[in-house]
Amino acid sequence: MTEEEIIEKTNRVFEESFEIEPGRLKADAHIFTDLGLDSLDIVDLVVALQSSFGVKIRTDEKVREIRTLGDVYSFIARVKNGEQD
Amino acid sequence: MTIYDDIVVGSGASGLTMALLLAMGGRRVLILEKAPLIGGSLSMFSRGRVRFDTGFHFTGGLNEGGILSEMLTLLGMKELVEPVFLTKSVQNRFVFEESGKVFEQPPGIEPAKMKFKADFPSEGQAIDAYFEMIASVCNRTPSMNIQENLIAPPNLEEDYVSLDSVLKKLTGNPLLRGLLSGYAMCYGVRPDEISFANHARMVNNFYESIAFVKDGGDGLIMAFKKRLDFYGVDIRCGVSLLPFSDIKDGMVNSFTLTNGESVSAERAVFTIHPQEILSLIPEKSRSRAFASRISSFESSAGFFSVFAKIRNGAVDPEPDSAIISLFPDNDVNALLSPEYCGKPAVVIIKPPHAAHDACERGVCILEPAFPEKIAQWGDSTVGKRSSAYSDYKEERVEAIRAHIAAQLPAYSDVLEFVDAASTLTYRDYLCSHDGSAYGVKQKIGQFNLIGRLPLHNLYAAGQSALLPGVVGAMMSSLIVGRSIIGKDRYGRLLGGVS
Repeated sequence: MTEEEIIEKTNRVFEESFEIEPGRLKADAHIFTDLGLDSLDIVDLVVALQSSFGVKIRTDEKVREIRTLGDVYSFIARVKNGEQD
Repeated sequence: MTIYDDIVVGSGASGLTMALLLAMGGRRVLILEKAPLIGGSLSMFSRGRVRFDTGFHFTGGLNEGGILSEMLTLLGMKELVEPVFLTKSVQNRFVFEESGKVFEQPPGIEPAKMKFKADFPSEGQAIDAYFEMIASVCNRTPSMNIQENLIAPPNLEEDYVSLDSVLKKLTGNPLLRGLLSGYAMCYGVRPDEISFANHARMVNNFYESIAFVKDGGDGLIMAFKKRLDFYGVDIRCGVSLLPFSDIKDGMVNSFTLTNGESVSAERAVFTIHPQEILSLIPEKSRSRAFASRISSFESSAGFFSVFAKIRNGAVDPEPDSAIISLFPDNDVNALLSPEYCGKPAVVIIKPPHAAHDACERGVCILEPAFPEKIAQWGDSTVGKRSSAYSDYKEERVEAIRAHIAAQLPAYSDVLEFVDAASTLTYRDYLCSHDGSAYGVKQKIGQFNLIGRLPLHNLYAAGQSALLPGVVGAMMSSLIVGRSIIGKDRYGRLLGGVS
């Protein structure tokens, strides 16, 4: 999967599952302060990303380190490349 | 408008635990129960002089130092609940009909292990490894210890592998796999869908000890009621909450009851089915992702049940207090699949005789059943079902009668069937979401609904939140309740528990 595909698919999750306008979806956008998610949304984000990318994600420290949308892209890239199964 | 600190919605084992813990923590609590009486699946019913259990039959964890025993101590209920332990292996039997083999499970982990090894002499290594893995999971799970009781996401390796895959690696013997996954009946999820870790967290209690409770679910409800009265907890039955409409700053400002009354409370804790909780939260107050996660939860298995008593004057060949599981197939995956077309499993549960003979407790006979199988009658209500539904019930009753007659002819002769219940009966009499026995099906990698909800003064607990059954339901309430009353207050309550 290319970086562009990951970005596009991740953005779609934020648009469709959290109803965030596409214009706000920038790599440096902070998912809590800029996009308005809260810590409780993380579980739902993980579940939505799992079904969108067809991967299994564990809620370990790497998930808790996510702050920006760019962090989500690189997290997914790592999962997709098999660092996490 | 009445003002409370907390509203607890639902009054099963989880709701009652939650309300009591909050009240013991100094909070003014109101319990709301949709049904006419409190108790949820702990409720019993009478036919003549015989009292029958509905959802609660037996439990693990009541032994000294066991998790349920510790929780009851914390709640000040230890002296109010009298366990009746299974003490002989003949009281807990698994009958594998394909081979005709009968396995008895003695109480205690070591005795059970020794017995299984004697029954499967060439499988000693597999049996040792299985019990070691169970112990290891329990030791690394903080919520198994009420002193710690932290909300931790599933994070063990064993949370990501199925019971089935572990057993298949350990042994090529399908009979042993069947025996080691037999307790899946006690959580209603197929071995290839449940994680090994959650299997371990539940069955460890059953290997340690299995006990009935004197007076069954009534016994537990009475014990809770006594403590709730002591702490002045208000209980309202026959009402529930309307969808939230008064929302301010991401919190529910006031709660409206189905009778139109308004109640003010700082918080509300929901111990009902997650999909019932979802239906109360307005769309604008939660994300689509949240709704889609909750909607995707599937139902655990339920039971078609026959309620029976011992014929007048008949000599009962079974011991007082017994659990007999009849498995027509070695593969528990098949027995717990809605698609399975073979002869279903049957679990016969015979509670202890009442001590004072005032009221006998009847025998419950459970056959796994799936809400989706009777979905065609899902819109009907009690007393208004179709004749096709009556035919379905009659057919199941006769199949169960024939099943017991074939496997336990002597017992079959003394049993008199007095009533039957489908998962729809359970749904409608117990006001449950779908009539399943264990709420949401606990699948590998699933993120359950526990703790704070999208509206920040709302919380979720219950048997769908953590682990099914009375133990799981109560544990979820201690975990969530602790986060509400605070670590210090909880710590002081723990003072009574060594």
